[in-house]
Amino acid sequence: MSLSEQTRAAILKLVATYPERRTALLPALKLAQADAGYLSREAIAEAADLVGVPHSAALELAEFYTMLHTEPGPSTRVVVCAQLPCALRGAEDLIRDLHAGLRPAIEKGAIEVERTSECFGACHRAPMARIGDAYRENLDQERRRALIQELAQV
Amino acid sequence: MSVAVEYAPVLLTHPGRTTPVSLDEYQAEDGYAGWRKAVTKMTPDQVVEEVKASGLRGRGGAGFPTGNKWGFIPKAPGAKYVAVNADESEPGTFKDRELMEVEPHRVLEGVALCCYAIGAETAFIYIRGEYVEAANRLEAAIGEAEAANILGQGCLGTQVNVRILVFRGAGAYICGEETALLESLEGRRPMPRSRPPFPAVEGLYRRPTVINNVETLANVPAIIDRGSGWYNAIGVPPRNTGPKIFCLSGRVNRPGNYELPLGSVTIRELIDGYGQGVIGGKAVKGVLTAGVSAPILSGDKLDTKLDYDSIQAAGSMLGSASLIVLDEDTCIVRAATVMEEFFRHESCGKCTPCREGTSWLFKVMSRIEQGRGVPADLDLLLSLSGEISGKVLCALGDFATSPVVATVKQYRDEYQRHIDEGACPFDPW
Repeated sequence: MSLSEQTRAAILKLVATYPERRTALLPALKLAQADAGYLSREAIAEAADLVGVPHSAALELAEFYTMLHTEPGPSTRVVVCAQLPCALRGAEDLIRDLHAGLRPAIEKGAIEVERTSECFGACHRAPMARIGDAYRENLDQERRRALIQELAQV
Repeated sequence: MSVAVEYAPVLLTHPGRTTPVSLDEYQAEDGYAGWRKAVTKMTPDQVVEEVKASGLRGRGGAGFPTGNKWGFIPKAPGAKYVAVNADESEPGTFKDRELMEVEPHRVLEGVALCCYAIGAETAFIYIRGEYVEAANRLEAAIGEAEAANILGQGCLGTQVNVRILVFRGAGAYICGEETALLESLEGRRPMPRSRPPFPAVEGLYRRPTVINNVETLANVPAIIDRGSGWYNAIGVPPRNTGPKIFCLSGRVNRPGNYELPLGSVTIRELIDGYGQGVIGGKAVKGVLTAGVSAPILSGDKLDTKLDYDSIQAAGSMLGSASLIVLDEDTCIVRAATVMEEFFRHESCGKCTPCREGTSWLFKVMSRIEQGRGVPADLDLLLSLSGEISGKVLCALGDFATSPVVATVKQYRDEYQRHIDEGACPFDPW
């Protein structure tokens, strides 16, 4: 079994929460991902079994949503929005600075700096980055130096 | 330059605040007065009629009259649902985020009123997965309201039950399309359904469902508490009533959310009077008013009033009122390529014209921007766009063509320069 007892219990609780049990599938996958940092085939299958849907139904979701990962990844994901409002306020420059400042950690595989065309709703505080679940906004020169220093210790 | 409009905000009543307004604070400012009035003194039909009379139109983008949407729900007994579209993902849009993060109770009151009006006992707030903070605050606010017996079983001592569930997405723009949102809630791949049947007849779990945007519902408490007559005096009746949150971003000095009556300011007044002008005092080359999903308006349209009808008459859409300002130094081809990159990323893949077409549009746009375009590319872009628009199940396909079509038509000389000079004539980002 790849899911923890705690996660299995949380998924069963979700199944009982909704009018139809399949609604619990997406939240179940997010809980399963929190266990190992990504969704292995086994974890996807177990989540599907707990919700009571075919494994393929769970895999379909796992492969669709950008916040779900079906491969192991770095411990820290830094996602920089480079969509138009952020691009107009220096997002590409921020990406260059992050790559340059975090090179050792990136080469070690500890950090990944990803440029995305997706908007995160922080256009008024651009440029910005999502680090794990947290938003880091208004990343001017001073703040990005502090951020790079903080992340370089990962 | 221009003087700010004299106006007391109705939705974001604490401008500049970043912490959530608590239940006590909200109630001290007449919060849940509309809810109390509805469940103790009004029938559900009276609530629907009041919202119809207010003229409120959907704030998510389409601008459909909210009261009419509620009126489509069949009266027959049986489960009905409210699905709140909090999947705010349109580039340039960050208003629902602030509403949920700072005014969670106003949103919940609006959701509860919608439930009561259509006879639903369960509402889902479908919030994009990245809005973790907003989702946490909504859940905390639901806890506060249930503990105070405002929401939950037997609300405020009546027979009314309202259960509001926060459902977190996992990263997909398409979930903002209402039928894709329903698919996502049902645990399926979020791909749009073909219509009919419409959600009012067969929505969530094949039951009648109202899907409304967060800002739309946040308008309802004041409409019920103070009446449609009061609401009608805000904005430009009969088709453009009420307050609207304008999200201002891009090349302006002070980007942010600005709540103003519909039709009370022009694009120029918003940029200069609220956004404190364009960075470096540059000229405006163009403004997007509905994020990246509607045609750009060129710099000579800045005196257009910001309401649904005026923006439409000028050749675009007000949409979610997400204004992205491009200055004279911005390369239009590059800006349009970045917008197209978004649609290529977000196309769900269900309809072939959109899945393949957005990818081709992006490839052709990229080669022009990089100086590898050929003269035939401009007509190719237009013909490709014609093969997507109107030939797919949802609006994403139409949205995806507007960055290309509108810029090729209005800024053709800039495209031509890229092709003639074999390079982008602007500074890199």
